[in-house]
Amino acid sequence: MDCEKFDRIVLDLLYEELDELTSAAARRHMEHCARCRAIGSGLRATREVGALPLVEAPEGLELRILQAEEQAAQLLPIGKRLGRGLSLLASYAMRPQVSMAALLMLMIGSSLFFLRAQPGDREHVRVTERGVPETDNEAVTIIPKKVEAPEPARVAPHPVAAAAPSPRVEEVAQRRERAPEPKPEPVAQAAPAQLAAPAGGAQRGGAALGALSDDKESEGSNEPSTDSDASYDAAMAAYRDGRYSEAQRRFDEIASLGGPHAANAALYGAQALRRVSGCPTAAPRFEEVHSRYPGSVGSDAAWQAADCYRSLGELARARQNYEQLSADPSYKTRAKEAIAELDQRVADQEQAARRATAAAAATAAAAKGKAPAAASPAKPAPSGN
Amino acid sequence: MAAVQGDASDEMLMVRYQRGERKAFVELVRRHNRAVYNFVLRQLRVPALAEDVTQDVFMRLVQNAAEFKHEARFLTWLYTIARNLCIDQLRKLSHRRHASLDQPQGDPNNAQLLGDTVSDPNPHASAEHSALSSEVRSSIVKAVDSLPEDQREVFLLREVASLPFRDIAEITGVGENTVKSRMRYALDRLKDALSDFEEYARALR
Repeated sequence: MDCEKFDRIVLDLLYEELDELTSAAARRHMEHCARCRAIGSGLRATREVGALPLVEAPEGLELRILQAEEQAAQLLPIGKRLGRGLSLLASYAMRPQVSMAALLMLMIGSSLFFLRAQPGDREHVRVTERGVPETDNEAVTIIPKKVEAPEPARVAPHPVAAAAPSPRVEEVAQRRERAPEPKPEPVAQAAPAQLAAPAGGAQRGGAALGALSDDKESEGSNEPSTDSDASYDAAMAAYRDGRYSEAQRRFDEIASLGGPHAANAALYGAQALRRVSGCPTAAPRFEEVHSRYPGSVGSDAAWQAADCYRSLGELARARQNYEQLSADPSYKTRAKEAIAELDQRVADQEQAARRATAAAAATAAAAKGKAPAAASPAKPAPSGN
Repeated sequence: MAAVQGDASDEMLMVRYQRGERKAFVELVRRHNRAVYNFVLRQLRVPALAEDVTQDVFMRLVQNAAEFKHEARFLTWLYTIARNLCIDQLRKLSHRRHASLDQPQGDPNNAQLLGDTVSDPNPHASAEHSALSSEVRSSIVKAVDSLPEDQREVFLLREVASLPFRDIAEITGVGENTVKSRMRYALDRLKDALSDFEEYARALR
Protein backbone atom coordinates (compact mmCIF):
# COMPACT_ATOMS: atom_id res chain seq x y z
CA MET A 1 0.00 0.00 0.00
CA ASP A 2 1.24 3.48 -0.78
CA CYS A 3 0.41 6.89 0.69
CA GLU A 4 -2.00 7.76 -2.10
CA LYS A 5 -4.10 4.70 -1.47
CA PHE A 6 -3.86 5.25 2.26
CA ASP A 7 -5.35 8.73 1.83
CA ARG A 8 -8.28 7.20 -0.02
CA ILE A 9 -9.08 4.65 2.64
CA VAL A 10 -8.08 6.45 5.81
CA LEU A 11 -11.67 7.35 6.68
CA ASP A 12 -12.82 3.79 6.11
CA LEU A 13 -10.03 2.71 8.41
CA LEU A 14 -11.07 5.26 11.00
CA TYR A 15 -14.71 4.13 10.98
CA GLU A 16 -13.84 0.44 10.60
CA GLU A 17 -15.51 -0.02 7.26
CA LEU A 18 -12.55 -1.83 5.71
CA ASP A 19 -12.19 -5.54 5.23
CA GLU A 20 -9.61 -7.26 7.37
CA LEU A 21 -6.94 -7.61 4.69
CA THR A 22 -7.02 -3.96 3.63
CA SER A 23 -7.20 -2.84 7.22
CA ALA A 24 -4.11 -4.88 8.10
CA ALA A 25 -2.28 -3.52 5.05
CA ALA A 26 -3.14 0.05 6.08
CA ARG A 27 -1.88 -0.55 9.59
CA ARG A 28 1.35 -2.03 8.28
CA HIS A 29 1.79 1.00 6.07
CA MET A 30 1.27 3.30 9.02
CA GLU A 31 4.01 1.52 10.91
CA HIS A 32 6.53 2.36 8.22
CA CYS A 33 5.25 5.74 7.00
CA ALA A 34 5.54 8.70 9.41
CA ARG A 35 3.29 10.91 7.31
CA CYS A 36 0.43 8.48 7.17
CA ARG A 37 0.93 7.52 10.78
CA ALA A 38 0.51 11.19 11.75
CA ILE A 39 -2.62 11.51 9.62
CA GLY A 40 -4.12 8.35 11.05
CA SER A 41 -3.41 9.22 14.67
CA GLY A 42 -4.63 12.81 14.21
CA LEU A 43 -7.94 11.64 12.83
CA ARG A 44 -8.31 8.99 15.51
CA ALA A 45 -7.63 11.54 18.27
CA THR A 46 -10.05 13.98 16.72
CA ARG A 47 -12.73 11.36 16.62
CA GLU A 48 -12.12 10.24 20.19
CA VAL A 49 -12.00 13.68 21.74
CA GLY A 50 -14.23 15.50 19.33
CA ALA A 51 -17.17 13.14 19.43
CA LEU A 52 -20.23 15.30 19.35
CA PRO A 53 -21.93 15.31 22.76
CA LEU A 54 -25.49 14.09 22.35
CA VAL A 55 -28.31 15.62 24.32
CA GLU A 56 -31.20 13.64 25.62
CA ALA A 57 -34.44 14.03 23.79
CA PRO A 58 -36.84 16.28 25.67
CA GLU A 59 -39.01 14.57 28.20
CA GLY A 60 -42.39 13.80 26.79
CA LEU A 61 -41.21 13.72 23.16
CA GLU A 62 -41.58 9.96 22.94
CA LEU A 63 -45.02 10.14 24.52
CA ARG A 64 -46.10 12.87 22.16
CA ILE A 65 -44.92 10.88 19.17
CA LEU A 66 -46.86 7.80 20.29
CA GLN A 67 -49.99 9.81 20.97
CA ALA A 68 -49.73 11.41 17.55
CA GLU A 69 -49.32 7.99 16.00
CA GLU A 70 -52.43 6.73 17.77
CA GLN A 71 -54.44 9.66 16.53
CA ALA A 72 -53.07 9.28 13.03
CA ALA A 73 -54.05 5.63 12.99
CA GLN A 74 -57.59 6.48 14.03
CA LEU A 75 -57.88 9.27 11.51
CA LEU A 76 -56.50 7.18 8.70
CA PRO A 77 -59.15 7.08 5.95
CA ILE A 78 -60.72 3.76 5.08
CA GLY A 79 -59.31 3.86 1.59
CA LYS A 80 -55.80 4.28 2.91
CA ARG A 81 -56.36 1.52 5.43
CA LEU A 82 -57.51 -0.79 2.67
CA GLY A 83 -54.56 0.30 0.57
CA ARG A 84 -52.25 -0.49 3.42
CA GLY A 85 -53.87 -3.90 3.81
CA LEU A 86 -53.58 -4.64 0.13
CA SER A 87 -50.03 -3.45 0.11
CA LEU A 88 -49.34 -5.71 3.02
CA LEU A 89 -50.92 -8.68 1.27
CA ALA A 90 -49.08 -7.92 -1.96
CA SER A 91 -45.75 -7.63 -0.24
CA TYR A 92 -46.43 -10.88 1.57
CA ALA A 93 -47.46 -12.61 -1.63
CA MET A 94 -44.31 -11.45 -3.37
CA ARG A 95 -42.07 -13.04 -0.83
CA PRO A 96 -39.76 -15.67 -2.34
CA GLN A 97 -41.06 -18.46 -0.14
CA VAL A 98 -44.63 -17.87 -1.26
CA SER A 99 -43.55 -17.69 -4.89
CA MET A 100 -41.60 -20.91 -4.66
CA ALA A 101 -44.44 -22.70 -2.95
CA ALA A 102 -46.87 -21.52 -5.62
CA LEU A 103 -44.52 -22.65 -8.37
CA LEU A 104 -44.09 -26.03 -6.75
CA MET A 105 -47.83 -26.52 -6.47
CA LEU A 106 -48.24 -25.52 -10.09
CA MET A 107 -45.63 -28.03 -11.21
CA ILE A 108 -47.19 -30.85 -9.21
CA GLY A 109 -50.65 -30.01 -10.47
CA SER A 110 -49.62 -29.83 -14.10
CA SER A 111 -47.68 -33.09 -13.80
CA LEU A 112 -50.69 -34.88 -12.40
CA PHE A 113 -52.91 -33.45 -15.10
CA PHE A 114 -50.68 -34.49 -17.98
CA LEU A 115 -49.97 -37.91 -16.56
CA ARG A 116 -53.66 -38.57 -16.24
CA ALA A 117 -54.41 -37.23 -19.69
CA GLN A 118 -52.25 -39.70 -21.61
CA PRO A 119 -52.97 -43.20 -20.40
CA GLY A 120 -53.22 -44.54 -23.94
CA ASP A 121 -49.56 -44.10 -24.64
CA ARG A 122 -48.76 -46.60 -21.99
CA GLU A 123 -51.21 -49.19 -23.21
CA HIS A 124 -49.59 -49.72 -26.60
CA VAL A 125 -46.16 -50.77 -25.66
CA ARG A 126 -44.64 -53.06 -28.22
CA VAL A 127 -41.89 -55.41 -27.28
CA THR A 128 -39.77 -56.81 -30.02
CA GLU A 129 -37.96 -59.96 -29.11
CA ARG A 130 -34.53 -60.02 -30.55
CA GLY A 131 -32.80 -63.28 -31.21
CA VAL A 132 -33.90 -66.87 -31.21
CA PRO A 133 -34.65 -68.79 -28.07
CA GLU A 134 -32.23 -71.44 -27.10
CA THR A 135 -33.17 -75.02 -27.86
CA ASP A 136 -32.11 -78.29 -26.40
CA ASN A 137 -32.40 -80.05 -29.70
CA GLU A 138 -29.72 -82.70 -29.71
CA ALA A 139 -29.57 -82.69 -33.47
CA VAL A 140 -27.79 -79.37 -33.46
CA THR A 141 -24.19 -80.23 -33.39
CA ILE A 142 -21.90 -77.42 -32.68
CA ILE A 143 -18.96 -77.18 -34.96
CA PRO A 144 -15.79 -75.89 -33.39
CA LYS A 145 -15.40 -72.31 -34.23
CA LYS A 146 -12.93 -71.46 -36.89
CA VAL A 147 -11.68 -68.18 -35.56
CA GLU A 148 -11.45 -66.60 -32.20
CA ALA A 149 -14.79 -66.18 -30.56
CA PRO A 150 -16.43 -62.88 -31.22
CA GLU A 151 -17.69 -60.92 -28.33
CA PRO A 152 -21.07 -62.04 -27.09
CA ALA A 153 -22.36 -58.53 -27.46
CA ARG A 154 -21.78 -58.73 -31.18
CA VAL A 155 -23.70 -61.96 -31.43
CA ALA A 156 -26.73 -61.13 -29.44
CA PRO A 157 -28.31 -58.27 -31.33
CA HIS A 158 -29.07 -60.06 -34.56
CA PRO A 159 -28.81 -63.80 -34.54
CA VAL A 160 -30.60 -64.10 -37.83
CA ALA A 161 -28.04 -62.08 -39.61
CA ALA A 162 -25.57 -64.61 -38.57
CA ALA A 163 -23.73 -67.29 -40.20
CA ALA A 164 -23.74 -69.43 -43.22
CA PRO A 165 -24.70 -73.01 -42.79
CA SER A 166 -22.09 -75.40 -41.62
CA PRO A 167 -21.78 -78.85 -43.17
CA ARG A 168 -22.89 -80.81 -40.16
CA VAL A 169 -25.82 -78.64 -39.59
CA GLU A 170 -26.78 -78.85 -43.18
CA GLU A 171 -26.75 -82.59 -42.80
CA VAL A 172 -29.09 -82.29 -39.91
CA ALA A 173 -31.36 -80.16 -41.98
CA GLN A 174 -31.33 -82.65 -44.75
CA ARG A 175 -32.11 -85.41 -42.34
CA ARG A 176 -35.06 -83.45 -41.13
CA GLU A 177 -36.20 -82.92 -44.63
CA ARG A 178 -36.29 -86.62 -45.16
CA ALA A 179 -38.01 -87.25 -41.90
CA PRO A 180 -41.70 -86.43 -41.59
CA GLU A 181 -41.73 -82.87 -40.38
CA PRO A 182 -44.53 -82.25 -37.91
CA LYS A 183 -43.99 -78.52 -37.96
CA PRO A 184 -40.94 -78.39 -35.76
CA GLU A 185 -40.23 -75.56 -33.51
CA PRO A 186 -38.81 -72.54 -35.27
CA VAL A 187 -35.31 -73.03 -34.13
CA ALA A 188 -35.14 -76.62 -35.26
CA GLN A 189 -36.41 -75.69 -38.65
CA ALA A 190 -34.41 -72.57 -38.91
CA ALA A 191 -31.48 -72.05 -41.10
CA PRO A 192 -28.37 -73.86 -40.12
CA ALA A 193 -26.74 -70.71 -39.13
CA GLN A 194 -29.48 -69.99 -36.70
CA LEU A 195 -29.31 -73.43 -35.29
CA ALA A 196 -25.69 -72.95 -34.66
CA ALA A 197 -25.99 -69.49 -33.28
CA PRO A 198 -28.89 -69.02 -30.92
CA ALA A 199 -29.20 -65.84 -29.01
CA GLY A 200 -26.39 -65.42 -26.62
CA GLY A 201 -24.79 -68.67 -27.66
CA ALA A 202 -21.35 -67.36 -28.11
CA GLN A 203 -19.70 -70.53 -27.04
CA ARG A 204 -22.05 -72.70 -29.00
CA GLY A 205 -21.57 -70.56 -32.06
CA GLY A 206 -18.86 -72.72 -33.51
CA ALA A 207 -18.33 -72.39 -37.18
CA ALA A 208 -21.49 -70.44 -37.49
CA LEU A 209 -20.02 -67.79 -35.30
CA GLY A 210 -16.90 -67.93 -37.34
CA ALA A 211 -18.97 -67.13 -40.33
CA LEU A 212 -20.76 -64.55 -38.32
CA SER A 213 -17.58 -62.75 -37.57
CA ASP A 214 -16.96 -62.28 -41.25
CA ASP A 215 -20.52 -61.37 -41.79
CA LYS A 216 -20.24 -58.75 -39.12
CA GLU A 217 -17.30 -57.29 -40.93
CA SER A 218 -19.51 -56.57 -43.84
CA GLU A 219 -22.32 -55.58 -41.58
CA GLY A 220 -20.31 -52.93 -39.90
CA SER A 221 -21.85 -52.61 -36.49
CA ASN A 222 -24.81 -53.53 -34.37
CA GLU A 223 -27.31 -51.26 -35.88
CA PRO A 224 -30.87 -50.99 -34.70
CA SER A 225 -33.58 -52.67 -36.65
CA THR A 226 -34.08 -51.07 -40.05
CA ASP A 227 -36.01 -51.83 -43.20
CA SER A 228 -33.29 -54.14 -44.42
CA ASP A 229 -33.41 -55.97 -41.14
CA ALA A 230 -37.14 -56.36 -41.46
CA SER A 231 -36.84 -57.71 -45.00
CA TYR A 232 -34.19 -60.12 -43.94
CA ASP A 233 -36.28 -61.23 -40.99
CA ALA A 234 -39.24 -61.81 -43.29
CA ALA A 235 -37.12 -63.87 -45.66
CA MET A 236 -35.78 -65.93 -42.80
CA ALA A 237 -39.29 -66.44 -41.49
CA ALA A 238 -40.35 -67.75 -44.88
CA TYR A 239 -37.33 -70.04 -44.95
CA ARG A 240 -38.10 -71.36 -41.51
CA ASP A 241 -41.71 -71.98 -42.42
CA GLY A 242 -40.70 -74.01 -45.45
CA ARG A 243 -41.89 -71.43 -47.96
CA TYR A 244 -38.70 -71.81 -49.91
CA SER A 245 -39.88 -70.18 -53.12
CA GLU A 246 -40.88 -67.06 -51.28
CA ALA A 247 -37.73 -67.20 -49.22
CA GLN A 248 -35.60 -67.52 -52.32
CA ARG A 249 -37.31 -64.54 -53.93
CA ARG A 250 -36.87 -62.44 -50.83
CA PHE A 251 -33.25 -63.43 -50.33
CA ASP A 252 -32.47 -62.70 -53.95
CA GLU A 253 -33.97 -59.25 -53.63
CA ILE A 254 -31.94 -58.52 -50.53
CA ALA A 255 -28.78 -59.80 -52.19
CA SER A 256 -29.38 -57.72 -55.29
CA LEU A 257 -29.87 -54.57 -53.24
CA GLY A 258 -26.64 -55.07 -51.36
CA GLY A 259 -26.22 -53.99 -47.79
CA PRO A 260 -25.19 -55.70 -44.63
CA HIS A 261 -27.29 -58.81 -45.23
CA ALA A 262 -26.44 -59.27 -48.89
CA ALA A 263 -23.87 -62.04 -48.44
CA ASN A 264 -25.98 -64.16 -46.14
CA ALA A 265 -29.05 -63.50 -48.24
CA ALA A 266 -27.23 -64.77 -51.33
CA LEU A 267 -26.20 -67.91 -49.51
CA TYR A 268 -29.67 -68.54 -48.10
CA GLY A 269 -31.15 -67.77 -51.47
CA ALA A 270 -28.99 -70.50 -53.00
CA GLN A 271 -30.05 -72.88 -50.26
CA ALA A 272 -33.69 -72.06 -50.82
CA LEU A 273 -33.18 -72.66 -54.51
CA ARG A 274 -31.70 -76.04 -53.70
CA ARG A 275 -34.81 -76.85 -51.73
CA VAL A 276 -37.00 -75.76 -54.57
CA SER A 277 -35.14 -76.96 -57.65
CA GLY A 278 -32.53 -79.31 -56.38
CA CYS A 279 -28.81 -79.42 -56.76
CA PRO A 280 -28.54 -79.21 -60.56
CA THR A 281 -29.85 -75.66 -60.37
CA ALA A 282 -28.44 -74.73 -56.99
CA ALA A 283 -24.85 -75.82 -57.52
CA PRO A 284 -24.05 -73.05 -60.03
CA ARG A 285 -25.71 -70.58 -57.63
CA PHE A 286 -23.48 -71.75 -54.79
CA GLU A 287 -20.47 -71.33 -57.04
CA GLU A 288 -21.60 -67.83 -57.87
CA VAL A 289 -21.93 -66.96 -54.20
CA HIS A 290 -18.54 -68.49 -53.57
CA SER A 291 -16.89 -66.36 -56.20
CA ARG A 292 -18.79 -63.21 -55.29
CA TYR A 293 -18.36 -63.23 -51.52
CA PRO A 294 -14.93 -64.20 -50.33
CA GLY A 295 -14.59 -65.10 -46.71
CA SER A 296 -16.68 -67.41 -44.62
CA VAL A 297 -19.85 -66.99 -46.66
CA GLY A 298 -17.98 -67.88 -49.82
CA SER A 299 -16.42 -70.88 -48.14
CA ASP A 300 -19.80 -72.03 -46.93
CA ALA A 301 -21.13 -71.67 -50.45
CA ALA A 302 -18.21 -73.68 -51.82
CA TRP A 303 -18.95 -76.38 -49.26
CA GLN A 304 -22.59 -76.43 -50.24
CA ALA A 305 -21.65 -76.61 -53.90
CA ALA A 306 -19.35 -79.51 -53.20
CA ASP A 307 -22.14 -81.24 -51.37
CA CYS A 308 -24.35 -80.75 -54.35
CA TYR A 309 -21.69 -82.16 -56.65
CA ARG A 310 -21.40 -85.17 -54.43
CA SER A 311 -25.10 -85.73 -54.53
CA LEU A 312 -25.01 -85.35 -58.27
CA GLY A 313 -22.13 -87.76 -58.51
CA GLU A 314 -19.75 -85.20 -59.85
CA LEU A 315 -17.04 -86.28 -57.50
CA ALA A 316 -14.22 -84.64 -59.39
CA ARG A 317 -15.79 -81.23 -59.06
CA ALA A 318 -16.67 -81.91 -55.46
CA ARG A 319 -13.06 -82.88 -54.81
CA GLN A 320 -11.91 -79.70 -56.48
CA ASN A 321 -14.02 -77.62 -54.09
CA TYR A 322 -12.83 -79.56 -51.08
CA GLU A 323 -9.26 -79.01 -52.10
CA GLN A 324 -9.90 -75.31 -52.27
CA LEU A 325 -11.54 -75.40 -48.87
CA SER A 326 -8.64 -77.24 -47.35
CA ALA A 327 -6.76 -73.96 -47.60
CA ASP A 328 -9.38 -72.36 -45.35
CA PRO A 329 -8.41 -72.91 -41.72
CA SER A 330 -11.97 -73.32 -40.63
CA TYR A 331 -12.69 -76.00 -43.24
CA LYS A 332 -9.26 -77.57 -43.46
CA THR A 333 -9.95 -80.65 -41.35
CA ARG A 334 -13.39 -81.26 -42.66
CA ALA A 335 -12.29 -80.74 -46.25
CA LYS A 336 -9.52 -83.28 -45.85
CA GLU A 337 -11.93 -85.73 -44.32
CA ALA A 338 -14.32 -85.11 -47.17
CA ILE A 339 -11.53 -85.64 -49.70
CA ALA A 340 -10.54 -88.85 -47.99
CA GLU A 341 -14.13 -89.93 -48.00
CA LEU A 342 -14.39 -89.04 -51.65
CA ASP A 343 -11.23 -90.93 -52.44
CA GLN A 344 -12.52 -93.87 -50.55
CA ARG A 345 -15.76 -93.60 -52.37
CA VAL A 346 -13.96 -93.38 -55.67
CA ALA A 347 -11.80 -96.31 -54.72
CA ASP A 348 -14.85 -98.27 -53.71
CA GLN A 349 -16.50 -97.37 -56.92
CA GLU A 350 -13.46 -98.39 -58.88
CA GLN A 351 -13.20 -101.61 -56.99
CA ALA A 352 -16.83 -102.23 -57.52
CA ALA A 353 -16.35 -101.42 -61.13
CA ARG A 354 -13.43 -103.78 -61.33
CA ARG A 355 -15.42 -106.46 -59.64
CA ALA A 356 -18.26 -105.82 -61.89
CA THR A 357 -15.94 -105.99 -64.86
CA ALA A 358 -14.38 -109.18 -63.61
CA ALA A 359 -17.71 -110.65 -62.93
CA ALA A 360 -18.84 -109.68 -66.33
CA ALA A 361 -15.73 -111.17 -67.84
CA ALA A 362 -16.19 -114.34 -65.90
CA THR A 363 -19.71 -114.50 -66.91
CA ALA A 364 -18.76 -113.92 -70.46
CA ALA A 365 -16.06 -116.59 -70.27
CA ALA A 366 -18.42 -119.06 -68.76
CA ALA A 367 -20.86 -118.35 -71.40
CA LYS A 368 -18.19 -118.88 -74.02
CA GLY A 369 -17.22 -122.29 -72.65
CA LYS A 370 -20.72 -123.52 -72.57
CA ALA A 371 -21.47 -122.65 -76.16
CA PRO A 372 -19.10 -125.28 -77.96
CA ALA A 373 -20.27 -127.90 -75.64
CA ALA A 374 -23.69 -127.23 -76.63
CA ALA A 375 -22.66 -127.36 -80.29
CA SER A 376 -21.13 -130.91 -80.00
CA PRO A 377 -22.65 -132.46 -77.03
CA ALA A 378 -22.20 -136.14 -78.02
CA LYS A 379 -18.50 -136.03 -78.65
CA PRO A 380 -17.20 -139.11 -76.81
CA ALA A 381 -14.06 -138.98 -74.88
CA PRO A 382 -11.18 -140.92 -76.33
CA SER A 383 -10.98 -144.20 -74.74
CA GLY A 384 -8.34 -146.80 -74.57
CA ASN A 385 -5.67 -144.75 -76.39
CA MET B 1 -44.30 -8.89 23.11
CA ALA B 2 -40.93 -10.37 23.83
CA ALA B 3 -39.94 -10.79 20.22
CA VAL B 4 -40.50 -7.15 19.50
CA GLN B 5 -38.56 -6.08 22.56
CA GLY B 6 -35.67 -8.36 21.75
CA ASP B 7 -33.02 -8.23 19.08
CA ALA B 8 -35.31 -7.81 16.12
CA SER B 9 -33.84 -5.62 13.42
CA ASP B 10 -35.32 -2.23 12.61
CA GLU B 11 -36.53 -3.59 9.31
CA MET B 12 -38.31 -6.49 10.97
CA LEU B 13 -39.94 -4.13 13.46
CA MET B 14 -41.14 -1.95 10.64
CA VAL B 15 -42.65 -4.95 8.86
CA ARG B 16 -44.41 -5.93 12.05
CA TYR B 17 -45.74 -2.44 12.39
CA GLN B 18 -47.03 -2.70 8.85
CA ARG B 19 -48.96 -5.76 9.99
CA GLY B 20 -50.51 -3.75 12.77
CA GLU B 21 -48.24 -4.44 15.72
CA ARG B 22 -48.17 -1.08 17.38
CA LYS B 23 -45.60 -2.21 19.92
CA ALA B 24 -43.11 -2.53 17.13
CA PHE B 25 -43.51 1.16 16.43
CA VAL B 26 -43.03 1.94 20.11
CA GLU B 27 -39.77 0.05 20.03
CA LEU B 28 -38.62 1.93 16.95
CA VAL B 29 -39.35 5.28 18.58
CA ARG B 30 -37.55 4.20 21.73
CA ARG B 31 -34.50 3.18 19.75
CA HIS B 32 -34.16 6.19 17.49
CA ASN B 33 -35.91 9.25 18.83
CA ARG B 34 -32.81 10.55 20.62
CA ALA B 35 -30.50 10.26 17.62
CA VAL B 36 -33.07 11.78 15.30
CA TYR B 37 -33.64 14.63 17.72
CA ASN B 38 -29.88 15.35 17.94
CA PHE B 39 -29.51 15.23 14.17
CA VAL B 40 -32.38 17.65 13.71
CA LEU B 41 -31.21 19.83 16.57
CA ARG B 42 -27.70 20.22 15.12
CA GLN B 43 -29.16 20.99 11.74
CA LEU B 44 -31.75 23.53 12.88
CA ARG B 45 -30.07 24.64 16.12
CA VAL B 46 -33.47 25.50 17.61
CA PRO B 47 -34.47 22.99 20.31
CA ALA B 48 -38.22 23.61 20.22
CA LEU B 49 -38.28 23.42 16.47
CA ALA B 50 -36.11 20.30 16.56
CA GLU B 51 -38.63 18.64 18.88
CA ASP B 52 -41.51 19.37 16.53
CA VAL B 53 -39.58 18.24 13.50
CA THR B 54 -38.58 15.01 15.26
CA GLN B 55 -42.23 14.31 15.93
CA ASP B 56 -43.00 15.05 12.29
CA VAL B 57 -40.32 12.62 11.21
CA PHE B 58 -42.02 9.77 13.02
CA MET B 59 -45.43 10.84 11.82
CA ARG B 60 -44.20 10.70 8.23
CA LEU B 61 -42.98 7.23 9.00
CA VAL B 62 -46.45 6.30 10.21
CA GLN B 63 -48.17 7.79 7.19
CA ASN B 64 -45.85 6.09 4.71
CA ALA B 65 -45.41 2.82 6.54
CA ALA B 66 -47.10 0.84 3.75
CA GLU B 67 -44.47 2.01 1.28
CA PHE B 68 -41.61 0.58 3.25
CA LYS B 69 -40.04 -2.45 1.61
CA HIS B 70 -38.45 -5.16 3.69
CA GLU B 71 -35.33 -5.06 1.54
CA ALA B 72 -34.74 -1.36 2.28
CA ARG B 73 -32.62 -0.08 5.13
CA PHE B 74 -34.81 1.43 7.82
CA LEU B 75 -32.23 3.95 9.00
CA THR B 76 -31.61 5.20 5.48
CA TRP B 77 -35.32 5.73 5.07
CA LEU B 78 -35.72 7.38 8.48
CA TYR B 79 -32.88 9.85 7.99
CA THR B 80 -33.91 10.65 4.46
CA ILE B 81 -37.23 11.81 5.93
CA ALA B 82 -35.43 13.72 8.68
CA ARG B 83 -33.06 15.40 6.24
CA ASN B 84 -35.88 16.46 3.93
CA LEU B 85 -37.84 17.95 6.81
CA CYS B 86 -34.73 19.78 8.01
CA ILE B 87 -34.14 21.23 4.57
CA ASP B 88 -37.76 22.45 4.49
CA GLN B 89 -37.36 24.10 7.88
CA LEU B 90 -34.04 25.67 6.98
CA ARG B 91 -35.64 27.20 3.93
CA LYS B 92 -38.40 28.64 6.06
CA LEU B 93 -35.86 29.90 8.59
CA SER B 94 -33.81 31.52 5.90
CA HIS B 95 -36.66 33.94 5.39
CA ARG B 96 -36.49 34.91 8.99
CA ARG B 97 -33.72 36.00 11.18
CA HIS B 98 -31.49 33.09 12.01
CA ALA B 99 -31.64 31.95 15.52
CA SER B 100 -28.29 32.40 17.13
CA LEU B 101 -26.80 30.25 19.80
CA ASP B 102 -27.34 33.07 22.25
CA GLN B 103 -30.94 33.71 21.28
CA PRO B 104 -33.44 32.50 23.87
CA GLN B 105 -35.70 29.71 22.58
CA GLY B 106 -39.26 28.87 23.44
CA ASP B 107 -40.87 30.31 26.48
CA PRO B 108 -39.00 33.47 27.40
CA ASN B 109 -39.53 32.68 31.06
CA ASN B 110 -37.98 29.29 30.66
CA ALA B 111 -35.47 30.24 28.04
CA GLN B 112 -32.51 27.99 27.37
CA LEU B 113 -29.65 28.59 24.99
CA LEU B 114 -28.50 25.87 22.63
CA GLY B 115 -24.96 26.46 23.69
CA ASP B 116 -25.98 25.93 27.29
CA THR B 117 -27.83 22.78 26.41
CA VAL B 118 -24.72 21.04 25.16
CA SER B 119 -22.13 22.60 27.38
CA ASP B 120 -23.94 22.45 30.66
CA PRO B 121 -23.09 19.19 32.47
CA ASN B 122 -26.70 18.53 33.31
CA PRO B 123 -28.28 15.04 33.41
CA HIS B 124 -29.34 15.38 29.75
CA ALA B 125 -25.74 15.47 28.56
CA SER B 126 -24.18 12.30 27.30
CA ALA B 127 -22.46 10.37 30.04
CA GLU B 128 -19.50 9.32 27.93
CA HIS B 129 -18.48 12.90 27.51
CA SER B 130 -18.79 13.93 31.11
CA ALA B 131 -15.06 13.58 31.54
CA LEU B 132 -14.43 16.26 28.96
CA SER B 133 -14.31 19.81 30.10
CA SER B 134 -17.26 21.97 29.26
CA GLU B 135 -14.87 24.16 27.33
CA VAL B 136 -13.92 21.32 25.04
CA ARG B 137 -17.54 20.38 24.49
CA SER B 138 -18.44 23.92 23.71
CA SER B 139 -15.61 24.14 21.21
CA ILE B 140 -16.77 20.94 19.53
CA VAL B 141 -20.32 22.20 19.20
CA LYS B 142 -19.16 25.52 17.87
CA ALA B 143 -16.86 23.83 15.41
CA VAL B 144 -19.69 21.62 14.16
CA ASP B 145 -22.12 24.50 13.93
CA SER B 146 -19.60 26.50 11.96
CA LEU B 147 -19.22 23.78 9.37
CA PRO B 148 -20.64 24.39 5.91
CA GLU B 149 -24.07 22.88 5.60
CA ASP B 150 -23.07 19.97 3.36
CA GLN B 151 -20.11 19.04 5.59
CA ARG B 152 -22.17 19.32 8.76
CA GLU B 153 -24.86 17.15 7.29
CA VAL B 154 -22.38 14.40 6.47
CA PHE B 155 -20.65 14.75 9.81
CA LEU B 156 -23.94 14.41 11.72
CA LEU B 157 -25.15 11.44 9.70
CA ARG B 158 -21.84 9.71 10.37
CA GLU B 159 -21.33 10.65 14.02
CA VAL B 160 -24.89 10.97 15.32
CA ALA B 161 -26.80 8.51 13.17
CA SER B 162 -23.80 6.14 12.82
CA LEU B 163 -24.61 5.53 9.17
CA PRO B 164 -21.94 4.06 6.89
CA PHE B 165 -20.62 6.26 4.10
CA ARG B 166 -22.51 4.26 1.49
CA ASP B 167 -25.85 5.02 3.14
CA ILE B 168 -24.93 8.67 3.63
CA ALA B 169 -24.20 8.90 -0.07
CA GLU B 170 -27.64 7.45 -0.78
CA ILE B 171 -29.38 9.87 1.57
CA THR B 172 -27.57 12.96 0.37
CA GLY B 173 -27.64 11.98 -3.28
CA VAL B 174 -23.90 12.43 -3.90
CA GLY B 175 -21.09 9.98 -4.50
CA GLU B 176 -19.42 8.08 -1.71
CA ASN B 177 -16.08 9.72 -2.41
CA THR B 178 -17.71 13.13 -2.13
CA VAL B 179 -19.17 12.11 1.20
CA LYS B 180 -15.75 11.03 2.43
CA SER B 181 -14.19 14.21 1.20
CA ARG B 182 -16.75 16.29 3.07
CA MET B 183 -16.21 14.20 6.16
CA ARG B 184 -12.48 14.69 5.92
CA TYR B 185 -12.89 18.47 5.77
CA ALA B 186 -15.23 18.39 8.74
CA LEU B 187 -12.76 16.35 10.79
CA ASP B 188 -9.92 18.68 9.85
CA ARG B 189 -11.97 21.64 11.08
CA LEU B 190 -12.75 19.86 14.29
CA LYS B 191 -9.11 18.95 14.70
CA ASP B 192 -8.14 22.58 14.38
CA ALA B 193 -10.72 23.50 16.99
CA LEU B 194 -9.37 20.89 19.39
CA SER B 195 -5.68 21.31 18.81
CA ASP B 196 -5.19 23.68 21.75
CA PHE B 197 -6.77 21.37 24.33
CA GLU B 198 -4.90 19.02 26.59
CA GLU B 199 -7.34 16.18 25.99
CA TYR B 200 -6.52 16.18 22.34
CA ALA B 201 -2.80 16.15 23.07
CA ARG B 202 -3.28 13.17 25.38
CA ALA B 203 -5.26 11.33 22.75
CA LEU B 204 -2.51 11.88 20.25
CA ARG B 205 0.06 10.09 22.41
